[in-house]
Amino acid sequence: MSFISSIFSGIWSFLKRISKNKAGFLGFIGLVIYFFVTFIMPSFVEFDDEANLDEITGPIGSRIVLAVNVDDADRYHTLEDLAGKTVGVVTQTGGPTFIEPYEDTLTVEEFSWSSRREGPGIQAALVALANKEIDAMLIFSKSVTEFIDNQEDPELRQLFEDNIVISNPTLGPSHLLGTDTQGRDIASHIVHGGRLLILTAVLGGLISTAIALVLGSLAALFGGVLDNVLTAITNLILAIPRFPLLVVLAGLISFDNTLFLGVLIGLLGWPALMRAIRAQVLSLRERDFVEAAQSLGLSTGHIMMREILPNMISFVAINLIFSITFAMYEQIGLVVLGLAPISDYTWGVMLYFGRTRGTLFNADGASMALSPVLAIALFQVCLVLFARALEEVFDPRLRSAV
Amino acid sequence: MISETPDVIAATGQASMVDRLYDSVMNIYRNHTFRVTIQAIITVWAVITFTFFLIRLMPGNPIDVLVEQIMVAEGIPYQDAYDRVAASFDFDPDASAIDQYFDWFSDVLRLDLGTSITSPGTRVVDEIARFLPWTLFAVGTGLLVSFVLGIVLGMMMAYYRNSPLDHILSLFASFMTGIPNYIWGLLIVIVLGIQFNLFNVGALRGTYDVSTTPGFNLPFIKSAFEHAFLPIVTYVVSTLGGWMLNMKSSTMSVLNDDYVNVAEARGLKDSRIITAYVGRNAALPLFTQLTISIGFVLGSGVVIEEIFVYWGLGHYLFASITTRDYTSMQGVFVILVITVVFANLIADLTYGFLDPRVRVSGQK
Amino acid sequence: MNQKMNDDVVLRVDDLSIVYRTKRGNVQATTDISFDLKRGEAMALIGESGSGKTTVSLSLIRKLPKNALVTKGQVLYQREGNVRDVLKLSKRQLREFRWKDCAMVFQGSQNAFNPVLKIRKQFEDTARAHGWTDKEAVRQRALELLRLVRLDPERVYEAYPHELSGGMKQRTLLALGVLLNPQVVILDEPTTALDILTQRAIIDVLNDMQKKLNFSIIFISHDLSLAAEMADIVATVYAGEIVEIGPVNDIFYDPQHPYTHGLLTSVPKLDHEQDLLTSIKGAPPNLITPPSGCKFHPRCPYVTEKCSVDGPPLAGDKPEHLAACWHKDALLKAREELAQEVAQ
Repeated sequence: MSFISSIFSGIWSFLKRISKNKAGFLGFIGLVIYFFVTFIMPSFVEFDDEANLDEITGPIGSRIVLAVNVDDADRYHTLEDLAGKTVGVVTQTGGPTFIEPYEDTLTVEEFSWSSRREGPGIQAALVALANKEIDAMLIFSKSVTEFIDNQEDPELRQLFEDNIVISNPTLGPSHLLGTDTQGRDIASHIVHGGRLLILTAVLGGLISTAIALVLGSLAALFGGVLDNVLTAITNLILAIPRFPLLVVLAGLISFDNTLFLGVLIGLLGWPALMRAIRAQVLSLRERDFVEAAQSLGLSTGHIMMREILPNMISFVAINLIFSITFAMYEQIGLVVLGLAPISDYTWGVMLYFGRTRGTLFNADGASMALSPVLAIALFQVCLVLFARALEEVFDPRLRSAV
Repeated sequence: MISETPDVIAATGQASMVDRLYDSVMNIYRNHTFRVTIQAIITVWAVITFTFFLIRLMPGNPIDVLVEQIMVAEGIPYQDAYDRVAASFDFDPDASAIDQYFDWFSDVLRLDLGTSITSPGTRVVDEIARFLPWTLFAVGTGLLVSFVLGIVLGMMMAYYRNSPLDHILSLFASFMTGIPNYIWGLLIVIVLGIQFNLFNVGALRGTYDVSTTPGFNLPFIKSAFEHAFLPIVTYVVSTLGGWMLNMKSSTMSVLNDDYVNVAEARGLKDSRIITAYVGRNAALPLFTQLTISIGFVLGSGVVIEEIFVYWGLGHYLFASITTRDYTSMQGVFVILVITVVFANLIADLTYGFLDPRVRVSGQK
Repeated sequence: MNQKMNDDVVLRVDDLSIVYRTKRGNVQATTDISFDLKRGEAMALIGESGSGKTTVSLSLIRKLPKNALVTKGQVLYQREGNVRDVLKLSKRQLREFRWKDCAMVFQGSQNAFNPVLKIRKQFEDTARAHGWTDKEAVRQRALELLRLVRLDPERVYEAYPHELSGGMKQRTLLALGVLLNPQVVILDEPTTALDILTQRAIIDVLNDMQKKLNFSIIFISHDLSLAAEMADIVATVYAGEIVEIGPVNDIFYDPQHPYTHGLLTSVPKLDHEQDLLTSIKGAPPNLITPPSGCKFHPRCPYVTEKCSVDGPPLAGDKPEHLAACWHKDALLKAREELAQEVAQ
């Protein structure tokens, strides 16, 4: 009981300290929200994997609407109103899925997506609706406006404009962030696309921080030849342009597992931090309490674990966060270049597809690239704000390595 | 430095000749310029050797890549495809990596980076000479602008610390450093280029408008700047925040120094104190960081240049990775490593001109 | 406002009270400080650290920290018959006033020079800021002054600050201090952080320069031997008030305030044996909630009830030697007893 309460009081005092720095508190809250969205929400939100041809690159907020004949505009607003009536849907769109639960109460008339005989499915359905052959129709909000606005046949255009109205513009669930180039809900991809990305970045950051910590402390504690060799190696590795090397390695190895990529990033990412940790341990070693421990004849391992490490925890924690941001930077950079696995649908992969499928240049579909861009950008900003706040809260004298 | 009288030399005799030789060799080695130059050359050699073997030891080779493509595209058997590709390639996959290394390295010593494997006859040096200037132009301009801006804004933050201006700029700086540079690139394309239609991203592909004649003429320079504009803006935005925050903390520590206080008591004009007393001293530590960031920004050029379709060194590197053109990849690495190492060397050697305290002792 | 001053008075501080606003409350740093400084005179402000002596000196060139507030008083300078209140100068006037009328050599002037500029540049900067642009004339004057502070003028003038030793920097700063021929030079702990020989040299140089250039000096110190050697007038500052002021000999041989006496007896004298070295009991008072009456009363050995109620006025038999104490007689008696004990 007292153990749990001490944990809570620890967390509480941490929150009180971090909340003094407004930007840092904002970052902390942001990270909590990110954790909730990417680690908890996937259990409640389903990954939308169903391609819907008429919902392609739907803009933010687009959804399935109910279209009716102008004469019925006041009568039919919900699918309950339509009990016993005939409702048209077009195959390979979101309509058939949406109407499934109501199939017992009303008659569904399916129009084929691409049947050439009566024109494209949407056109056939709209004509049927205008001529009152069906009572209502389920159609994607973007499709209906596009189809009517772009209608080249003046007669058809007149027919649609005179006879068809949207009686319920908010019938289906809203696509919060619009849909991608396959008509899938982007918001659900954002919810599911963060976890692996963040875990990989954390893995990479942990590996490089661990290597840096071990090598940096060894070099500083034992000094002499070991220190010279380790420092020389570190300086050599620092001279290699890190990201191009990673690009070349990833290009040549062709990873099929995102986590392996995290390991590779971690293995290359330690040198700058190693130098900082070495300097930190060296300066700690000069302090009185460490010298006192040494004069007591305590072993180097003991001094490291008991005297030095506890004094470096905040320094290491802050640099771990910066390492994570770097690992994420490199990981997503590789994905954007198409050199990392794209089988796992992460924010990076969304971005990659958004770019390669040209949605960048389509104002309606920009959400496919913009959503992951913002998700990544805000996550990184939250991390940086949080790390800077930790820096100030713990010890402003400790400057980070990067 | 060490002046012994003739008597001493005579007395110590033969041994001292050796000692003196040793001393003079050590004196040359102790010379700072000489030592750091030697270290830089060794670093370049070690790094390019390391990357050479690293790249060769990776799975796959350029012949296999193209053989597979041809087999799929033309439906011919492996051996036919292999013969055809091997005949047109300047590469023997069966030669040992060591032999290849000595061949290649002796060429490098003669300032020849070899010929492209996948398009024989194309000299890598010529290709790099074609792509490198554009990268240096964009990266150099971007870093220069962000460095100068960062120093000015960072000083403003320090002078008006804890004011709303400082808080807003700090938040901006965190955004600028936090968001990866290629994300900034994409944001600029999406928001300014597409949503607000401020420029035509498609028309800005490449490095200059082909209708202009390269040379010192206005239309060419104008188009070069237009094409480099987005990469430059990206480099500026993504590095500016770091300079601002560093300059702020550096300025704040200088403002606490006695000589600033004394300069005010001496009745100097504010403009003189801000530039020669605060600014110059506060900016000193940032020059060292400038050389570090050159390496980073050059490296990140691979993604930025791909995003903006800017034909610089990064674009060339990426293209050579997709075809596994070993010599081109290695050529780019040699140039990148030399640029980074020698940028550091130049910074090390010229730092003394900025800080007299280093100049006199000759060593850091 | 009394703008009339005798011709030989260059600086008059009049009822100066300064408050520091801090998070824990207002600190009454100085209360009703008043004194006159005459041309060519050297005045020492002595007291423990935190007594407010540095606050006084900073207010003389208006270089107080941002949280300081002058609640009362004026600081008047007289130059060629014109009297000006420094506290009322505009920003521009203040800048022109500084160094030209009153130069200040700060405590710990080891870092007083910009490390990246040559000494020559820093002399030229100072001259140019006050409208003196003839570099050759500045050079001649600077070399003359550097010679006066016994430095190798040509070498020092072309040197960078880090090439000079601590003592050399201090002397260079003194030379820079009198470059514009100021009337008043403030020296804040001019010799701390210097070794004893350098201290000696600085004092000699200062005495020498003052004779030749005839400026007035205010110097702040807790080093009484330095005060004895340099000063014509000594003022003892306690808890932000001047508790005793008078000619140097009067203060040292006839202290009339128990605090001055305490300071004197806490310093071992080399010239005659003194085994009854006493130090002042207790610590300086908290100036957020200062003691009532005489602020020294909680630490005073001669305290009576009256002391904690009424603050004594600054008064004395001789007009030039004033002290703020109700019990000068008791102190006199104690001093005589002490003298007898030492004699035995």
